[in-house]
Amino acid sequence: MTALFAQSLVTPSVGLIFWKTVAFLIFLYILYRFGWGPITESLEAREEDIEQSIRRAEEALQEAKEIQAENEQARRDAEQKAQRILREARDSAEELREEQKAQTRQEIQEMKEQAQADIEREKQAALQELRDEVADLAIGAAQKIIENDLDADRHRQLVNDALDDLPTN
Amino acid sequence: MIGRVRPLYIVALAVLGVSLALPTAPAKASVPAGEAGEEVTLEGIVNNTILGHAEDGYYLNFKPFAQVELPRIMLVRTADGALTLEAYGSTKGLLRGGPYGLTAHGDEGEGHADPITASAELSEAIGAKEHLHSPVVRTSGQVVADLSISRHLIFGLLAMLIVLGIFIALAQRYKKGHDQPEAPQGIFQNMMEVLVVFVRDEIAKPNIPDGKWRTFLPYLLTAFFFILVANILGLVPFAGAATSNIAVTGVMAVMTFAIVLLYASTDYYKELLTGPPDAPVLIRIILVPIEIIGLVMRHLALAIRLFANMMGGSLIIFSLIGLVFMMNVIMGEAAAWSTTIISIGFTVFILLLKLLVAFIQAYVFTILSALFIGMAVEEHHSGGEQEVESGSGLDGRAEERLDAVEDKVERRAQPTTA
Repeated sequence: MTALFAQSLVTPSVGLIFWKTVAFLIFLYILYRFGWGPITESLEAREEDIEQSIRRAEEALQEAKEIQAENEQARRDAEQKAQRILREARDSAEELREEQKAQTRQEIQEMKEQAQADIEREKQAALQELRDEVADLAIGAAQKIIENDLDADRHRQLVNDALDDLPTN
Repeated sequence: MIGRVRPLYIVALAVLGVSLALPTAPAKASVPAGEAGEEVTLEGIVNNTILGHAEDGYYLNFKPFAQVELPRIMLVRTADGALTLEAYGSTKGLLRGGPYGLTAHGDEGEGHADPITASAELSEAIGAKEHLHSPVVRTSGQVVADLSISRHLIFGLLAMLIVLGIFIALAQRYKKGHDQPEAPQGIFQNMMEVLVVFVRDEIAKPNIPDGKWRTFLPYLLTAFFFILVANILGLVPFAGAATSNIAVTGVMAVMTFAIVLLYASTDYYKELLTGPPDAPVLIRIILVPIEIIGLVMRHLALAIRLFANMMGGSLIIFSLIGLVFMMNVIMGEAAAWSTTIISIGFTVFILLLKLLVAFIQAYVFTILSALFIGMAVEEHHSGGEQEVESGSGLDGRAEERLDAVEDKVERRAQPTTA
């Protein structure tokens, strides 16, 4: 059996080569001019954009992390500071109280001393007054004795009576 | 899984039934019509059903609806020596209106039988559709070049139009969001973008060094999408793959070859024409022709690989279907019916395989083009002792890559060529 057309399958025809070359060149030019340019350019632009966005996001994340760390540090510092201040305040309050207490105690002491001094002075004054009174009474008694005819017994009696009249104190 | 596969299977079967049963139906119908003792022979089946569908022709076959003849354009040298361009609306018009005759079936090889020119005989030949399969010759003067529009050219142009339509429409979308890059929207844009980015990142960038890929990316994209669409057109009923024609793939390969020759670095030319710099003179003398032949063969293989894969696929399908009619002739109707089942099953399998091959071959052609271009434009870094080292290093790398790619290609292509 002879295959009549078999040869035509592998024989390139001149017309097809010619038209195909012309058509393909025009095709290539049109696509080059109107198709691939915008597509590949904007693809690249977009890729660059995405890459930049990712980089920016990463940077922002990094920055945020740093800020967070800073904040954390600051917070910790502040906490420590607050604690220190609190402690100091407590200490100073304690100190103040102690001081106050001591002062109060001292004042009380002073007041006590003052009071004692006052009492002493009053006592002395009272005693003095008493002594004066006693002297006056003694003088009065003496006068009475003198006025009444005095004998020795009577005398003693009188003095004793006078002494009995004195307050016991 | 099965639920998903089954509809696909049925659709493929339906497509097959339409695409293959229809063109062959009239061939069967013509038997009872009885055109002057014509009968279905094995030779007829091989020529018309199998090869007739696979080969290029000057008509579009929309049987049984229509058969459109394509315009014939002839660059001719007339008897008085003038060079003229003659155009006819169809082969029929060419034969009837011009000084052309039809060579009879089977005459091409042996001697020069007189071409059919008499109008009565011509009408008979045209009635039998012989003018579509037989070559025409000019009765006076000679045909310098047959620039007729052929089937494969139409399908090639159709593929180009589809690619143009897709990508110019796509480019408009990018122009709109010019100021600020926008996210791709929709299946259409995303899908095409994936392919474009695939060609750029997997084919152009790794194979063409030093950022020169930008120069060649448009060509690679164009070649990739043209081949892909043309290949897929080969699966469409009534259409055919332009890439199953050696002239089309040849032109593509020549384009790559031309780019290689135009853009090749001086280092590449120097090494091509004087051999490797550190080899002895005798070896260089042997190596230079080998290198040059190798260069040409690489590009020739590029054309033949694509052509043979696509042609092989369609020949297998037409042969499987032709088997039904052969069985009819050889063993009778019952055998033909049972063969139909087997044939259809195999055809569906081959069609699915062809879909895979359509993508693989587009990829292979483009990656090999990129590799050849990359090898040619690569510049060896000069400078003292380092020249030799880096030179051989780069060369070794390129060769290694070529081997790897060819290995991959062979492995992928194997099931289809078998």
